[in-house]
Amino acid sequence: MEEQRIGVYVCQCGTNIAKVVNCEEVVRAVSDQPGVVVAKTYKYMCSNPGQEMIVADIQEQGLDRVVVAACSPRMHEPTFRKALQSAGLNPYFVEMANIREQCSWVHDDPQVATEKARALTYGALRRVAKHEPLERMSVEMCPDVLVIGGGVCGMTAALELADGGNRVYLVERQGTLGGNVARVDLTAPYLDSARDLITSLVTRVEEHKRIDVLLHSEVSSLEGFVGNFTATVETIWGDGASVSQFKVGNVVVATGYKEFDASRVVHYGYGKLPNVVTSFEFEKMLRAGRVQTKEGKIPQYVAIIHCVGSRSKEFHTYCSRVCCMTALKYAHEVKSAIPDCYVSDVYIDMHAFGKGHEDFYKRGSEAKTLFLMYAKNDHPVIRKAGPGDDCDMLIEVNEKLSGEQIEIPADLVILMVGMEAREDSEAVARLVNISRDKDGWFIESHPKLDPVATTTDGIYIAGVCAAPKDIPDTVAQARAAAGRILAKTIRGSIEIDAVFAEVDEDMCSGCRVCNTLCPYSAITYDPEKKKSTVISAVCKACGACVAACPSSAIKARHFTDSQIFAQIEGVLA
Amino acid sequence: MRRPSMAIRVNPKLIDELELYGAEDVQNCYHCGNCSAVCPFSKEPYIFPRRPMRYLQMGLEDKLKGSLEPWLCYYCGQCSEECPRGAEPGETMMSLRRWLTSKYDFSGISRLFYKSGKIELLAVIGGALLTALAFVLWAVLRGGNIHSYSGENAFLPAASIHIFDWALAGVLLALLLTNCVRMWWFTMGRDKRLKVPFWLYLKGLYLLPLHFLTQKRYAKCEHKRPWAIHLALMLSYLIMLVLIMFFLGVMWSGPEIDWRVHVFGYLATVGLLGTTIFALRGRLKKSEPHYAHSHETDWIFLVLLIFVAFTGILQHILHRVGFDAAANVTYIVHLMGVVPMLGLEVPFSKWSHLAYRPLAMYFSAVRAEAMEREEKKALEPAMAAQSAA
Amino acid sequence: MSYEPKMVGFLCNWCSYTGADLAGTSRIHYSPNIRVIRVMCTARIDPTFVLKALRDGADGVLICGCHPGDCHYSEGNYKMMRRYPLLKKILADYGIEPARVRLEWVSASEGQRFADVVNDMTQRVRELGPSPIQQVLAQDMAER
Repeated sequence: MEEQRIGVYVCQCGTNIAKVVNCEEVVRAVSDQPGVVVAKTYKYMCSNPGQEMIVADIQEQGLDRVVVAACSPRMHEPTFRKALQSAGLNPYFVEMANIREQCSWVHDDPQVATEKARALTYGALRRVAKHEPLERMSVEMCPDVLVIGGGVCGMTAALELADGGNRVYLVERQGTLGGNVARVDLTAPYLDSARDLITSLVTRVEEHKRIDVLLHSEVSSLEGFVGNFTATVETIWGDGASVSQFKVGNVVVATGYKEFDASRVVHYGYGKLPNVVTSFEFEKMLRAGRVQTKEGKIPQYVAIIHCVGSRSKEFHTYCSRVCCMTALKYAHEVKSAIPDCYVSDVYIDMHAFGKGHEDFYKRGSEAKTLFLMYAKNDHPVIRKAGPGDDCDMLIEVNEKLSGEQIEIPADLVILMVGMEAREDSEAVARLVNISRDKDGWFIESHPKLDPVATTTDGIYIAGVCAAPKDIPDTVAQARAAAGRILAKTIRGSIEIDAVFAEVDEDMCSGCRVCNTLCPYSAITYDPEKKKSTVISAVCKACGACVAACPSSAIKARHFTDSQIFAQIEGVLA
Repeated sequence: MRRPSMAIRVNPKLIDELELYGAEDVQNCYHCGNCSAVCPFSKEPYIFPRRPMRYLQMGLEDKLKGSLEPWLCYYCGQCSEECPRGAEPGETMMSLRRWLTSKYDFSGISRLFYKSGKIELLAVIGGALLTALAFVLWAVLRGGNIHSYSGENAFLPAASIHIFDWALAGVLLALLLTNCVRMWWFTMGRDKRLKVPFWLYLKGLYLLPLHFLTQKRYAKCEHKRPWAIHLALMLSYLIMLVLIMFFLGVMWSGPEIDWRVHVFGYLATVGLLGTTIFALRGRLKKSEPHYAHSHETDWIFLVLLIFVAFTGILQHILHRVGFDAAANVTYIVHLMGVVPMLGLEVPFSKWSHLAYRPLAMYFSAVRAEAMEREEKKALEPAMAAQSAA
Repeated sequence: MSYEPKMVGFLCNWCSYTGADLAGTSRIHYSPNIRVIRVMCTARIDPTFVLKALRDGADGVLICGCHPGDCHYSEGNYKMMRRYPLLKKILADYGIEPARVRLEWVSASEGQRFADVVNDMTQRVRELGPSPIQQVLAQDMAER
C-alpha cells in the first residue's frame, strides 16, 4: 500500500468542544499515528476559513485522506465532502469523529472526555485509511410531483408547483377538496371568510391545466427513489373502482389532522349532555347562521373551554396552537350574534403568539368576555343544573386568578378539541418511508433548519401533519415544500448517493439468500450466470444483504467489513 | 376531592352594575399583577387592586361586600399608570368605594344617588328648596326682622340655629353609625372563620382618631401633595365645624369677635376655599390621576362644598360690613346648601368616607392581628413538638 | 484506579444515532465509557463485528436500532432481531455473560432513553468486571 497522507483536524467549535475536550492533546495523540502528516486544531472547521484550511492542506501538503473530529456527521459530513471535492479530492475520503454531540456535550470530566475524543478520532483515522474513492451517479429527475392531501396545504403546494411549470397529481381521500378548513366559518384573528379562502383555492386547482385531481383516492404504494418514484393510486367511489399509476420525482405529504375525541374527557360530559359541543360542531352552527341550544332556544350563557385533549398528561402533552385564538373568535361571534349573551372563556394560558393575536385578545376582553383560568391538572367539571337554576348546565372551576372555587352558568358549552395525528398517519409514514414522533406527527429533517424536508430524499411534509399549526404557517410550509421541489426539478437531474451494495460476482455462489432479504427488491438474479446483482440506483444501502451473505460476496460501499473492523480497532486502541 | 356545595356562582352582570358607579374597562384586566406589584400599600393579607378587580370581574358580590381593600387604597394612580391593558384599576377601586358606600347604607337612598346623578341633583335641589321654604316660613312666622342679624330680634337667632345644627348632626350621626355597624358586619362580624377577641378591638381603638386626624397612610404615597391638600381641606373643615358647633354665638356676636375665633375662622376660610378650588381645577383639567375620572357624585360633592364655603364666608363678610339684610338672605342660601350637603352626603354619599376610611384602617389592623394570632396558635403544637425533639 | 469498562456501541444512522445526537443537543449526560460506531442500519451488523469488538478489548457491546416497525429500511431491525438470539447463544458458549452484549431500540426522539440505556448497561458491565476474553488473552500473552 502506498504511503497515505492523512490530515487530522480537531474542531473546537468555539467553546462547545474546547470547553471539555483538550483539543491540543487530541492533536498531539494523533500526530504520531501512521499516515498522519497534518494534525491541527481550529475554532470552527465548518466555517469558510476552516474549509479553506483543509483545501489548502490537500493542495499544498498532498493530503489524500482527511479526518475531521467535530460535530455529528449528520450535521456537516456534506460540508466537508464538498470541501474535499473543491480541492480535487474524492469526497468519500473524509471521515468525521463525533466529539461534540456524543462527547463534549454529554460528558463533564475533561480528562475522560479528552480520552474518549482521542479514541473516537483514532477510530475515524483507522477507518478513513480503508476508504475507497466512490463516484456519484446522476439520474433523471422527473418533474412531476405527487401531493397527498387536498386541504389548504395540499392545494397551496399544488398550485405553487403547477404555476412553476410542473405537473401535479393531487390525491385526496374524500370526495371534495378543502380538508378541515372547509368546515370552518371565519378565521381568526381578522375574521376572514374561510369559505372564500377555500373556494378560491378549489376553483384555481380544478381549473389548472397542470393539476390532476384524484378524489376518493388513496396512494396504495410508492416505489423507487428521489426523482424516480412510481406511485400507485386506488380510486374507489360509490360503485366503481380504478387504479392508476404514474411517475413522479417528489412527493409532498399534506395529510393534515383529525380532531381529538372529546368524549374521552369524561368530566365534560360530551356525548351525554346535549349542549356540550366541539369546536367543529360549533362551526357548523355558525355556518348555518344559528347559534342555538339543542332545544332550539337562544343561549343566555355560553362557555368555552380550552385545551380539550391538549396539554394534558392523560391525553396529549403538546399544545394544539390554534385553539386559543379560535376560542376568542367564538366569543366574538357569539357576542355579535347574541349581544346580550354572557360569554365565559375557561383557559389554562392564553397563547396569543402571532400577528394580530394580542390585539384580538384585547378586543375579546373589551367585549366583556369573562376569562377564567384553570390549572393544567385540575380540569373544570360540567354538570346539569337544577330545575331552579336559570341555566342549562353549571361548570365548576377551581379558578386560579382568584383562588376561588366557582360555578359558571352555561346554556351552551364549546369544547376546544385539540389536533391529533390521523389514524392512517402510521400507514402513510410507512408508505413514503418517513418516521413519526411520539405524538404521531411526521418528523422533519431538522426541527429548526429544515422543517419541510424529511430524512427520505424526495419526500416533503407540510402543514399540520408535521405538527399543529395555523393557516398562515401551513401555507408557508406548503409553499416552502413547493419551492424546494421546484429548485430541485429545475436542474432536470439528481445525484444519487454513491453508497450502495455491490456483489462481487467471483465470490457469489448463487445461493439467492440475499434476493428475498432486500426490502426494496433491489437484488436481481441472473439464472444463466447463476449470480445475483444489486441494482445500484434502487439500493438504499441498509446492508441487510451484506451481513447475510454466507460467502461475504456483497460489499457495502463505504461501510465495508474492513472499514468497520478498522474503526473498532481504533476506538479500542 | 371536590365539594360541590362550596362553589360560588359567578355573576357576569355585576360589571354592568358597577359601570353606573364609574367603573370603566374592568374587563380589560388580564391579571398580569403589575398593579398590585407597584401599589405602595398592597401587602399580605390585603392584596389590591388585582384581587378586588378579579372579584368584580367574576361578580363575587358577597366577597366584595366584605372586602376592606377598596378603603386601603388612596388613589395615587400608579396602578393605572402601570396597567398594560388600560383597565383603570385606580378608578375601579374608586368605583368600588362608591359601590360599598351604597351597600353599607341600609336605606337604599345611597344606591339611588350613585346610579343616577340626576336623582341626587334633584334631591339636592329639592332639599335646598325645602330648607329655604322652611326657614323663611319659620323666620317670617316668628316675626323676625330681616335687617337684624344678631340679638333678640334676629331674623335667624343664633341659639335656634345652634339647636338646629345639633339636631341635624344627631340625625346624621345616627344614620352614619347604623351604616358603620353594617360595614363592621359585612367585613368582620359575619366572618365565622375568623375569631376576633374583643380586647383586640379595644387595643386598636386608638387607630381611629389617629388615622382620622392625620391620614398618615395617605402620606406614604409617592406624591405627597394629594395628602397635603386633603389634610388641609379636612382640617379646615374640622376647624369650621368646631367653630359653628361650639362658637356660633361668638361668630355672630356684635362688632367685636373674639380674636381667636377670628384667626381660626380665617385659617379655615383660606384652607377651605383654596383646597376646594384647587380640586375643582384639578378635576376640570384632569391634572392628577385621581382627578382623571369624575363621577357625578364627585362633582355634586365638590360643588356643594364650594357653594357652602363660599356662601358661609360671604354672609359673614356681609354681616361684618353691615349689610345685615343681605347677610341674612345669604345665610338662607347658605343653609340651602348646608342641609342637603350634610343630610345627603354624610350618610348616603361621598362624605361617608370620613367614617369608612378610618374604620377600614382600624378593622384591617385588627383583622390582620387576629389572623396572625390564629396562625401562631395553629403552629404551636408543631413548634412544641420540634422543641421537645 | 478502579476498573472502568470499555464499551462499544453500534448505532443505526436513522434512529439511534440521531437519538444519541439528541441526547447531545439536550445536554443529557451519560457514562463516558461508550465509543459509538455508526452503521446505516442494524441489519448491516455482522455478528463478527461484535466478536471483533470483544476481542479487541471491549468489555461490553451495545447495539441500538429503530423500534420494530419504524426501521428506515422497513425491515432491517427485524433481521437484527433474528440474528441476535443466535449471537447470544454463541457468546454464552464462549462464557461471555449475557449482560455484556445488549440490543436496544432507541428512536430519533429518545435522547433521554439513549442516555439511560448507556448508563444502565455501563453499570452492569462495571459490576461484572473486565471481560473474560481479556483475562484469557492476557494469560495467553503471559504464557508466551
